[in-house]
Amino acid sequence: MISSQTFHVVSTELVVGAFSVSGLSFLFCLLLHLDVLKKADWKPMFDNVAHFTLAFGLAATPFAVLSGLSSSPGEGLNSPILVNKMFLSMAGMGFAIGVFISRWRLSQSVWATSKTATVHCTTGLAACGSMLLTASAGGTFLRGESLLDVLSLPYDAVLLFPTVISGIGLAIGIGLLVLGWLRMNAISSVH
Amino acid sequence: MNFNHRVYTVLFLSLLLIGSTYGAAEPGGNGDATRDMQCGGACHGDAALNETSLATLTLSSPSTVYAGIPTTLTLTATNLSLSSTGIVGFFLLTDTTGHSDTPKDAGWDVLSESNGGASNYVEQTLPSSQTETSVSWVVRSSSEGMTSFYAAIHHGGSSKPFFAVTSTGYEVEAKEIPENLPRLAADFTPQSTRILDVPTELGLQTEFTESVQVEWKVEGGAIMSAQVNSSGDNMWSATIPAALQPTSLQWRAILQGDGPEQTTPWFTLTAEEAGWEIEEFAVYLQAFSLLFLIAGAVLALQSRLAPLPVSSKYDQTDLLPQRLDEESIVESVPQESSEESEIAPLPAGGLPNGWNEDQWKWYGHDYLAGKYGGGQE
Repeated sequence: MISSQTFHVVSTELVVGAFSVSGLSFLFCLLLHLDVLKKADWKPMFDNVAHFTLAFGLAATPFAVLSGLSSSPGEGLNSPILVNKMFLSMAGMGFAIGVFISRWRLSQSVWATSKTATVHCTTGLAACGSMLLTASAGGTFLRGESLLDVLSLPYDAVLLFPTVISGIGLAIGIGLLVLGWLRMNAISSVH
Repeated sequence: MNFNHRVYTVLFLSLLLIGSTYGAAEPGGNGDATRDMQCGGACHGDAALNETSLATLTLSSPSTVYAGIPTTLTLTATNLSLSSTGIVGFFLLTDTTGHSDTPKDAGWDVLSESNGGASNYVEQTLPSSQTETSVSWVVRSSSEGMTSFYAAIHHGGSSKPFFAVTSTGYEVEAKEIPENLPRLAADFTPQSTRILDVPTELGLQTEFTESVQVEWKVEGGAIMSAQVNSSGDNMWSATIPAALQPTSLQWRAILQGDGPEQTTPWFTLTAEEAGWEIEEFAVYLQAFSLLFLIAGAVLALQSRLAPLPVSSKYDQTDLLPQRLDEESIVESVPQESSEESEIAPLPAGGLPNGWNEDQWKWYGHDYLAGKYGGGQE
């Protein structure tokens, strides 16, 4: 058996690699659908690559999060950087799940208008950005430095809401998820 | 992609490859930890690329070592020639096979080391002019017997990793504890860290001990005495003054009883800032709240923005022809096939005289059965 540290490195590299390719592909998708790049035959290619790598990264993310928690020195969340990593990775997962379900249920409709395409690609890029920030925070935690240190991100500060607010946010989130899902099902069944 | 583009691409990639630097180690060190010698040989780079360090390594220990009683092993390294970073790593090992060779593997616990942790591998950062250093480990054997200790070193220099291990083992014999020897309890584990700005109450558990003195010192400072109070039978508490900044001090206990007086090794106590704490339930709840809120918001937004087909709930003309087609297919195919299977085969001479096709369709079987003067024969 490999140690949880090694497993965390492996799963993190898979997540970061997959999300990076996905983010790049979403950027191309955005440029293509806004007609900045005029290569219509590239659209299906970047559409497929973006979503397949997103799905792969999404599948690897829980392993990265869990192995990260078990491999961190000390017990539990004993550093603000670890807490921020948790928030960033979950936010990234939220963006990725939203993008993935949208593309799955709405199919080509996500590319139907420039507005939907922009929202879809921006959300995909946000998923990628969140995951890269998570990896950067990991570098700062382990080595005390990261490539994104130039941005002077406040990893040492944690914005923690009261439990009640988080609970309400969770309920609203689940409600939105269910409503969005039902509405998308209605659209896809009409289609 | 035409030929010129391909050539430019290959040239560009070749330039990138040529421009990359070659590295065979981790110049920033790898941190104190419990590590096998394999780490020194391989995990910081390709073991085959290692050069032999010219450093001289010497292990030493007190003349008498008892099983179950902590003792100090000191490694003195001389003739050091390090990289510009000055980082050097030292291993305390119990064999040189490269795996399962830590003191723990041979039944020895590392209770403390000079960096304040409890690792068999410790790193130091030395000034470039320093060619000599020492590292000490406080170790305790769980059983009597002879153990061979080895020391290893790895460091950088001249763009290459350097590694060396002592060629012969340093023999340490853990003897049986004499009767009534004042000593620390067998399961005593020294406190290795404390928080800043708060005086530290050091708890000691002893055996066969009637009185205890505790001495402490900071690096380069004089030896000071701590106030010791008895908190029960063979239980003692010593008060160490608060540290105002993250520093290390060393302390030891002098134990007196019926047996000969015993002095423990110097234990390292490191002052750190108070640990960071947070309510984990609130963190997890907020994290999942973020996940669902963001995913839900994206779905809700896209489901609103996605264009709906123009349709009326009363208008089902698109569906109707499709259903009718399906029904006509479903109904017509079996009918045809059943009719074909139900129509009796014509006799060899064709339709009987006076019969038309429609009559044969419905009454042909009866004709063949002889009901109308026909028959199969």
